[in-house]
Amino acid sequence: MADTAGGMHLWAIATASVVAAACALVGTLLVVRRQSLLGDAIGHAVLPGIALAVLAGARPGGVAVFGAAVACALVTVGLVQALRAAAGLAEDAGAGVVFTSLFAAGVVIVTLGASRIDLDASCVLYGILEMVPFDTVPVGGVEVPRGFVSSAAVLATLVAVAVPTWKLQVFSAFDPDGARAAGVPVAAVTTGLLAATAVATVAGFEVVGAVLVVALLVVPAAAAELLVHRLHRVALLAVAFAVGGAIVGYLLAYRWNTSAGGVIAVVLVAEYVVAALLAPEDGCVAQVAGRIRFAWRVAREDRLAAVWRAMEQRGTPASPRSALEHLAGWWLRVRGRIVGAASLSAAGRREAEMVVRSHRLWEAWLGRHADLPLDHLHPPAEWVEHHLGEAARRRIEAELEHGRGDPHGREIPPEA
Amino acid sequence: MTDSATPSAAGDRPVPLVEFHDVTVAYGRRPVLWNVDLVIDAPCLFGIIGPNGAGKSTLLKAALGLVPLVGGTVRFAGEPLARARHTIGYVPQRESVDWDFPVSAFDVVLMGTYGRLGWFRRPGPAERASARDCLARVGLADVADRQIGRLSGGQQQRVFLARALAQEAAIYLLDEPMAGVDARSQEQIFDVLASLRAAGRLVVVVHHDLRTAAEWFDRVALIDMRLVAAGPTATVLTPDNLRRTYSGQVELLREVGLAVAERGRTS
Repeated sequence: MADTAGGMHLWAIATASVVAAACALVGTLLVVRRQSLLGDAIGHAVLPGIALAVLAGARPGGVAVFGAAVACALVTVGLVQALRAAAGLAEDAGAGVVFTSLFAAGVVIVTLGASRIDLDASCVLYGILEMVPFDTVPVGGVEVPRGFVSSAAVLATLVAVAVPTWKLQVFSAFDPDGARAAGVPVAAVTTGLLAATAVATVAGFEVVGAVLVVALLVVPAAAAELLVHRLHRVALLAVAFAVGGAIVGYLLAYRWNTSAGGVIAVVLVAEYVVAALLAPEDGCVAQVAGRIRFAWRVAREDRLAAVWRAMEQRGTPASPRSALEHLAGWWLRVRGRIVGAASLSAAGRREAEMVVRSHRLWEAWLGRHADLPLDHLHPPAEWVEHHLGEAARRRIEAELEHGRGDPHGREIPPEA
Repeated sequence: MTDSATPSAAGDRPVPLVEFHDVTVAYGRRPVLWNVDLVIDAPCLFGIIGPNGAGKSTLLKAALGLVPLVGGTVRFAGEPLARARHTIGYVPQRESVDWDFPVSAFDVVLMGTYGRLGWFRRPGPAERASARDCLARVGLADVADRQIGRLSGGQQQRVFLARALAQEAAIYLLDEPMAGVDARSQEQIFDVLASLRAAGRLVVVVHHDLRTAAEWFDRVALIDMRLVAAGPTATVLTPDNLRRTYSGQVELLREVGLAVAERGRTS
């Protein structure tokens, strides 16, 4: 299969998908721990380990390389903690110092050993997804890309470890003190996550390189977290986003004849933006829509109440105070709630009475329980009237033992 | 100073449920709790009372091994922590938890069963049923699927109480379960704690409100960087003891603690 052009693309897409899934799985745990940038730090810090392992004769993508990367990740975290203990350096600054120095060491080693090792700095930085299908090993008689074999092994290992230990990860990340008190080996769980991050990161090098691997780790999980609110769902959705991004990104890169790693990262970010815009509860669109809906309801209720008060006092309605209220008045006429110059349909009257009722109950309650002078009562009632439900109105009414009527002596309409 | 055990008829002392012996705790190098001797020998509602920064939470954390002991020992029914862990339920302070974390109320309560599951077994139908049951006991069955951050402060504390219930412990240690909780939730939490006492469990509560302390707890310990007094609530909460706890007499302990931390001398 690897010898046809279509087959090669399929292998590249399969490799990218497997790697993206592995990174998203690990990244979910980093993101919910608020340690997203640890992935970035580890992604850089593992370079000297990989370079030294390859110099020592290890095959890129082999077990020894992954082992060296894990060692580097643990050294990074150990050094950050040592810097904090010894020099009082804050954790983020410490990470900045440690991972940049390790990355620099890695760059030096790679360039010094360039003649002797099969490791190109630009491959590490930008990934070599397009080249993955050319380096194959026979698996059961089929020529399979080496990169696919190693990343599939990484994904299988991560899933095999994550399934039985998921509950420990959740507990340790959410409530470390509670977890330790319950006997969860929190330090070991955290170390395991670091090792997993290192392994996933190295696998990610093949696809998007050291710089963009953090996009695979962080972005799908950040997008998923906007949409679902239980950790296993966040993880599954993040994996789906990552795999989707890998497939779409690769195809777009092929069509535009550009770097697959770069386009994959762009697609992941696009997914995030869409999620941030459209998330049902916290998304930008939902929030703006909620604000508009509320402003529209306030305008309608104000208009209905103005007409109702005019009917009560046999006068003319107060004129609208905003363009939106003008619009609401027109709309209420179209819907038949407001009839003629200053009259309400039965439905319009019911709605208006509940607003006026809320308003006057609130004035009465404030006047009684907050001892406010009369001129202080109207403004708060003017906005609280749009927020009181039936239950709250009945509670307020029950607390006003004295007869009907607000502090200005006007009648409070009864509950509909 | 000990809240001493009553000798049994035979004259030998019963094994106390919790025993702090000469416990000193430090954060980094700075001692914050000095030489505490405290014995709790029978199931009851036990309050740990003291001003801010007195080391009340630290005492619980030290008992649970969350902060290291500089000196002394803690035993649970005569056993060291490692052997007694599964008999202890813990409710941490609000601040130690990330409320935006993607877990539902049910997920949090289910965590209470993880201790007895061991490291690799996944929670099954029995654990789920137990978690649902515990949520119902604190009156939150109907918000089981809500994300934990979307509950009110009182509901969040009740979820954590339900998690402790799911641990099916003999000893419950609660760190400020009444902090940031409305009066109604406080009553509900207290009712559950009282039912635990009725079921023969020991409930130790870090608490800061003196008014409710007198009415809720059978026994209390007054703490301000050292143990001031411990015993039946009525005999401990005396004006004299309260003055010794809340008057800031321990300034010297603080200064010495800082001097220890900085390898210096007090001025």
